[in-house]
Amino acid sequence: MGRWLLRRLAAAALIVWLVATATFFAAALAPGDITLRLADTRVSPSIREQWRRTFDLDQPLLTRYLRWMAGAARGDLSTSWTTYRPVATMIAEALPNTVLLAGAGLLLELLGGVAIALHQARRPFGTGDRILTFATLLAFAMPTFWVALLLVEVFAFRLPLFPPSHMRSPAGEMAVGWQRMADLAYHSVLPVLAIGITGVGAIARYLRGSLLDERAQGYVLAARGRGCSPRRALRVHALPNALLPLITILGLSLPFLVSGSLVIEVVFSWPGMGQLVYSAALARDLPTLLGGTVVVAVAVVAGNLLADLAYALADPRIRLGDAA
Amino acid sequence: MTKTLYQVPIVDPIEFFLMVRLTHNLLTLAFIAAALSCGNEQPITPVASGLGPRQGGQVVVAISSDLSTFNEYQWAPEAAEFEVLDLLFPSLMIEQPDFALRPPSFGERLATSWEFSPDNRQLTFHLRSGARWSDGVPVTAEDVAFTFSVQKDPQLGAIGLEFKEFITGVEVLDPLTVRFTFSHVYPYQLMDANDGHIIPAHVWGAVPRAEWRTTDFSQLLVTCGPYRLAAHTRGQTIILARDPAWWGHPRPYLDHLVFRVIPDVASQVNQLLSGHVDVVRVVPPRDADRVRANAELELIEFPSRDWGYLGWNNARPPFDDRRVRRAMSLAINRKAAVDSVFMGHARVAQGPILSSMWAFNRNLPILGHDPEAARTLLAEAGWGDSNGDGVLDRGGKKLEFDILYPATNAIRRDLAQLISADLARVGVRARPLPVEAATFLARQERGEFTAMLAAWTEATRIELSSVWASRSAGQGSYNFISYSNPEVDRLIAGARLEADHARAKLLLDRIQELIVLDQPVTFLYERNELVGLSRRIRGANINAAGLFFNVQDWYWEP
Amino acid sequence: MSWRSLPAHLRHGLAVLGVLTTVCVVGPWVAGDPTTIVEPAQASLLPPGSTRWVVEHRDGSRTAAQEVQRQEGGWLLTGRGEPRLIAAGEVVALRRTTFWLGTDTLGRDVLARLLWGGRVSLAVGLTALAVAMLLGTSVGLLAGWRGGLVDGVLMRLADALLAFPSLFLLLLVAAIFRPSLTALVLMLGGLSWMGVARLVRGQVLSLKEREFILAARGIGASPLRIALVHLLPNTLTPLSQDAALRLGDLILAEASLSFLGFGVALPLPSWGGMVAEAGEVLGTAWWLILLPGLAVATVVIGAALLADGLAELARLDPA
Repeated sequence: MGRWLLRRLAAAALIVWLVATATFFAAALAPGDITLRLADTRVSPSIREQWRRTFDLDQPLLTRYLRWMAGAARGDLSTSWTTYRPVATMIAEALPNTVLLAGAGLLLELLGGVAIALHQARRPFGTGDRILTFATLLAFAMPTFWVALLLVEVFAFRLPLFPPSHMRSPAGEMAVGWQRMADLAYHSVLPVLAIGITGVGAIARYLRGSLLDERAQGYVLAARGRGCSPRRALRVHALPNALLPLITILGLSLPFLVSGSLVIEVVFSWPGMGQLVYSAALARDLPTLLGGTVVVAVAVVAGNLLADLAYALADPRIRLGDAA
Repeated sequence: MTKTLYQVPIVDPIEFFLMVRLTHNLLTLAFIAAALSCGNEQPITPVASGLGPRQGGQVVVAISSDLSTFNEYQWAPEAAEFEVLDLLFPSLMIEQPDFALRPPSFGERLATSWEFSPDNRQLTFHLRSGARWSDGVPVTAEDVAFTFSVQKDPQLGAIGLEFKEFITGVEVLDPLTVRFTFSHVYPYQLMDANDGHIIPAHVWGAVPRAEWRTTDFSQLLVTCGPYRLAAHTRGQTIILARDPAWWGHPRPYLDHLVFRVIPDVASQVNQLLSGHVDVVRVVPPRDADRVRANAELELIEFPSRDWGYLGWNNARPPFDDRRVRRAMSLAINRKAAVDSVFMGHARVAQGPILSSMWAFNRNLPILGHDPEAARTLLAEAGWGDSNGDGVLDRGGKKLEFDILYPATNAIRRDLAQLISADLARVGVRARPLPVEAATFLARQERGEFTAMLAAWTEATRIELSSVWASRSAGQGSYNFISYSNPEVDRLIAGARLEADHARAKLLLDRIQELIVLDQPVTFLYERNELVGLSRRIRGANINAAGLFFNVQDWYWEP
Repeated sequence: MSWRSLPAHLRHGLAVLGVLTTVCVVGPWVAGDPTTIVEPAQASLLPPGSTRWVVEHRDGSRTAAQEVQRQEGGWLLTGRGEPRLIAAGEVVALRRTTFWLGTDTLGRDVLARLLWGGRVSLAVGLTALAVAMLLGTSVGLLAGWRGGLVDGVLMRLADALLAFPSLFLLLLVAAIFRPSLTALVLMLGGLSWMGVARLVRGQVLSLKEREFILAARGIGASPLRIALVHLLPNTLTPLSQDAALRLGDLILAEASLSFLGFGVALPLPSWGGMVAEAGEVLGTAWWLILLPGLAVATVVIGAALLADGLAELARLDPA
């Protein structure tokens, strides 16, 4: 186990390095560079050259790569080429916004999905179950971007119940304490709904099926035989077992917690990681792009590692020692 | 606003992202005259009864992207950013919205008066006493001289460097008097002297020039304007608060100006309609009617300085042949395309100078929609449909090419499809090809295209050399289409040196004729500016000189 | 097995997908050309059910009018703006046309665009899905079955691809190759097999120590046979659910590739492109927002029902 973990960690570091390297070269070789944006096209080519020198763009690719790597290895993600602020600072600003949004979305998926599935499993095949089955199927099938548009159109414009965008109102920007929190919560409602609705559908659909399966298993029947109420049997005995496979899904969601949903961030003017990395890519702001990519890569690797670990712990048939 | 609008290429994701200053045409002459007669400070008499301007309140303005820098000399910020910077930094004078009629005149701002020497080669400004930076330090002639040294610094290569080309020196005569010396006399001396905001010498002067480009100036922010920065959440909100130390005290009336970053223009309009924002500076043409129909909102419309074109690569076959280029212009129903995409909020562009400008040649030969003439021209150039597949060919090569455009630009996407359909009718296969924005810029600059949909925002001065003069090695140029006509080059050089703008007009007229004859590009549209704002905002004079031309006079209806 | 005896979900899923596919395959012949632009000044953004006179001109362009009157020397068209007189010789055909699902910003028939878009999107989505499934299943089976170094390398590769910002890969490819449908499908499939691989591998890992697999190994069945006959059927349930959701994602992803010039070539429509453009008409044209999204959702619903049905079938009739 210890050896396995060690090897996986080494592999993880290798992947992060690989991804950073591949991103560096792909971005450096893609058409266009940062100076197209910063230096007016009409200024003389010599000024353009000065700008290129400012960013070491006149250096050979390999030199630039080694310089960046050397910095990154020391934990220095360098400075953004569009804001001149440390990339680490920019990530530190964007990451909490993304984690907040995606985390709340994940929580909604889990709580919403479990609640709906439990409700359905109590009286399967009744009218309520049928309606919910259709509703969850619809929730599962609707494209996220489209849901976001509809939510804004309906709940921000047609019925002006919620703000259409941003993390805070202008007043909220100036507020402190709980008022600031309340303002943020109010602004989160629509984006969290948009981000979570597919997941609610997916988890509810999945759980309903496995709850019904588990309910027929011996141990649940035995519990019922001991005089356990149907409700309790479902919650205490069937649910934990039905939830187990969700561990993998949660592990796979970790990268999403960090990388953010670009679509949702754009629709709701939410300044998270998705927007940060994407706009850096469009501007060819290499340090920011690479910094963001490394953070996302770490999350992907960590998520998968955690998922594998959890899987192994939950299912003793899988032996980590020689499988990896 | 005081940034002399340098000419900028528009490539941003959505056409409307790059909104700049505005312009008037002759129809609005009366309006301009009214604006001029009361100068830049529109007198509004405060009435105690509460019917007059009221102090207080905030106006929320939608912007498409956040401010990228507080120092305009650090790199080329987008034109829209200048409108925010204009509220934070002073300029010597304020350009008046009369540039459509002649080289523009100027009103007082940091300078209260100015005079030319008898030979017109020297220009002396007398600065306002009592103007202070936000840290309490007075604004002096030293700041003006420092700003000039920054503008001229070849190491920085700041935007607008070329506007300072003919200014040979700036002298501090005393703390409130500063003198500019010019190499020769020309119509744009005031404009060139005024170009760019004055920046704080005592703070930014301490930053070594070598580190200038890589400094985060938001950490060194010292301002002098009607507003100062109160809060800035990146990518979200900029809140400006009234600066009580500003010389215009007790104005501005509004306590706060709030800028909300809303990248999507359709969302901006929806938020205007729902009351989440009060001002949208660029209403998409499709939404104009919705804004106009709303009783709470007002829609202000006037010609912008943006014009769009279909650029042909003049250095490559088949568009190295003038007949082919002219045939394309004749085959495209430009009026229909422009009307379709802009819903009547644009005019068909005719030539290299905006039709709203004083130098526009009103007798230009107009190329109409004439597919028959187009076919004839193409046949003359050797293009015929030899294999009967409906696509013209010559020597075994089909007349087919891609029309490049920035992928997220919806206006150009629609234009490309309309143009493609028109060209198909004369046997030309033009395929719309969306390209990612940075790639588009790179390909445009390197001339790696056959045809592309692009646009310009024109300066308030008439300056044809950057786009239309032949490219020469080692020189920067906006002539992406590799247009080259020696006679045009000669005339442009002549017009540039002409001191008298009436005489320059004769040369400019001829240049326009020649360019229209050559059709190096197919001129498409001149867009109108559509500004949407709440009717309850009073005192706003939004005009060609900028959204915040008289922001100090804005107030909420009592 | 008769149709009736199939699980209800399977029948419903097949019905939804079958109807949709038929409509999208047959529909385009009936619905007309989705690229025909009808004078936007007159016919843009007409709501569903609008009727206009469409005038086909000699040069192939089309204008539209609310009313048409025969007059001396031609036809008088009245609509938005001033009435116009069009010479009789100029007119090839004059048709009263109802736009059942309205028109888009260029006056194109939304019904025709939806049907054609469906054909394109289903074709692209399904083939890309097939590529992703094939790649993902092979990698997952191989990694799970062989374990050890093979597993490590393959799965780490999947991790790396998940973390790599695919935008640049696409930019590079777009710079080198001309956009084509084949390239589009390969890119879409090639960038979305990683989830499938993880899923299959996980299933294989938990199955390979079970008695029936051990027994099959014991009697000397070849690894390929074990994989195809014993492992694959058992991964069907989670895989088909995943495929349903992935299909919807792929249909939409096509639109984001068009941002890089890689999507379905304009002016041909696609559902992904139509959903992506919906944001531009927020608050102006509800039909342009609602319809393409519903179309994509319907496909995913059909696919999900089909997946449910397959799972039930597998339970009823264990392989």
